[in-house]
Amino acid sequence: MLNALEINNIAVGYHNRSVINDLSVTIPKNKITTIIGPNGCGKSTLIKTVSRILKAEKGTILLDGKAINTLDTREIAKQMAILPQTAESPGGLTVFELVSYGRFPYRKALGSLSKEDYNYINWAIEVTGLADFSDREISDMSGGQRQRVWIAMSLAQGTETLVLDEPTTYLDLAHQLDILLLLKKLNIEEHRTIIMVLHDLNHASRFSDYMIAMKDGNLITKGSPEEVMTHNNLRTLFNIEADIQECPYSGHPIFTSYHLSSQDKNYE
Amino acid sequence: MNQYKPAGLMKKQRRAAAVASIFTVLLIVLFLVSLNTGVIRIDPVTVIKTIFGSGEPRDELLLFEFRLPRITIAVLIGMGLAVSGAVLQGIVKNPLADPGIIGINAGAGLAVMLFVSYFSTELGNSVFIMPILAFIGAGAAAVVIYAFSYKKDEGVSPIRLILVGVAVAAGISALMIVLTLKLDPRTYDFVATWLAGSIWGSNWNFVLALLPWLVVLIPFVYMKSRVLDVLNLGDHTAVSLGMNLEKERRILLAAAVGLAAASVSVSGGIGFVGLIAPHMTRRLVGNKHKYVIPICALIGAVLVLTADTLGRVILQPAEIPTGVVVAIIGAPYFLYLLAKLND
Repeated sequence: MLNALEINNIAVGYHNRSVINDLSVTIPKNKITTIIGPNGCGKSTLIKTVSRILKAEKGTILLDGKAINTLDTREIAKQMAILPQTAESPGGLTVFELVSYGRFPYRKALGSLSKEDYNYINWAIEVTGLADFSDREISDMSGGQRQRVWIAMSLAQGTETLVLDEPTTYLDLAHQLDILLLLKKLNIEEHRTIIMVLHDLNHASRFSDYMIAMKDGNLITKGSPEEVMTHNNLRTLFNIEADIQECPYSGHPIFTSYHLSSQDKNYE
Repeated sequence: MNQYKPAGLMKKQRRAAAVASIFTVLLIVLFLVSLNTGVIRIDPVTVIKTIFGSGEPRDELLLFEFRLPRITIAVLIGMGLAVSGAVLQGIVKNPLADPGIIGINAGAGLAVMLFVSYFSTELGNSVFIMPILAFIGAGAAAVVIYAFSYKKDEGVSPIRLILVGVAVAAGISALMIVLTLKLDPRTYDFVATWLAGSIWGSNWNFVLALLPWLVVLIPFVYMKSRVLDVLNLGDHTAVSLGMNLEKERRILLAAAVGLAAASVSVSGGIGFVGLIAPHMTRRLVGNKHKYVIPICALIGAVLVLTADTLGRVILQPAEIPTGVVVAIIGAPYFLYLLAKLND
């Protein structure tokens, strides 16, 4: 199995507070990989480090076999697109305009969009189902549509790897599923490597080929959803007792309800 | 798939072109009005005659040696301050950033003031040194403001930048007032007029001192318009798109400081232009810096030239300093912006 990312013994922290001490994990190519874990487990820190917003104090991150701190940031942007958790939506931009910024790493300071740029932008708008909204102002769109626009921008970057930090947060149930189905489609039809952080464990299990579970900055377990989504793992990770079932759509393990491991009396 | 621009883009482009044409015409009209405004009025026909070289020596002197350089300077500093404001707002993603409000002008002012108090107001060639000194003063202020509003892992928080900037501006202004107490009356008068933002340097030397800064920096900033666009999408997105964030930010900050400093060294303390012009521009043509930069330069020029012309008319024969006229318009506009941001 080829690896899209190889993370070796990294340590990362904020303001002298260490979040990740020594983490090594590999992320397979052309698969959907989801990072799960409780709040403060370091999953967002890991994503930010991979996306070079934070610097690892030690260790290396290899993108397609090359250390990201030795690569030119523009070159990385041609291989890996990142959708941050809090993408700001500036006013006064149409869908087309925002998506066209995905071509930034390929463009010179001046000059207009090339034919190739147009092809990528139009394809990204098409594949995210935004063809009818191309001229729409982003500020006039709903949260779910906006998230699609941001994904379209990342797609216009023309990268093999797409990293998304909680792409479904703040969206309602239908829009969450809509975004995840879109990512699945990109993975299957375009063979994109998708790496994301998700809060919803059932969504994570249902849509992932590979899962990485973290707690307190450490890797707890990794593997297929069947390997990761077990009663014991969920207890270790979240201190919950979950009733694991099979998802009728994906066949992957999901749980219908749960209670806290520490709960001594149940008032329900 | 088609490779033509979508209709929305064409519409924006046409709109930007229309806005640019309107303000160009406005600037030309203002230019002619301003030429025949002042204590000595010259009618438009004489103005045109004189420009084409068949006028009275008296009119020639008045127009070419007094009014024309002053108008040119008003236009140039309007452009410089407006573009500086647009760039600052782009860097900190906050519409309240203005070289005056956040203390960059004050830094430039302090440097100019120290220079005139320790040397003299008999300037001669030192006209060309002033923008450089102003740049050093403004640069020092910018470094202090940046250092205090920068936090590791978070970068520059816009609100902290404004607050630190306001504090720095107030501190420098206080220091300047203390310093003026020690000046001789002649220098004091000069500094007081300067602080009020009267365009005091009204000869061609000042135009020559100012011009190179703008000729280099405005096109440079224009070339960075896509960088400013992407900065607008947020730091994380900018990094994801392969931007070297800190490097671009520092380069753009230096350009903004240079534009403000050169303008302020000639104009004195004119505030609010860097606030109003970009804001009006963004409302008219949106957030694309390819349009924002040139159009806000035009609007800035119109704004300062209007203020300067009004200042010469309202209380004839006395002159109201341009900076004061701009502030009379600018202060309420600033409050309006603040109120709108809170919504």
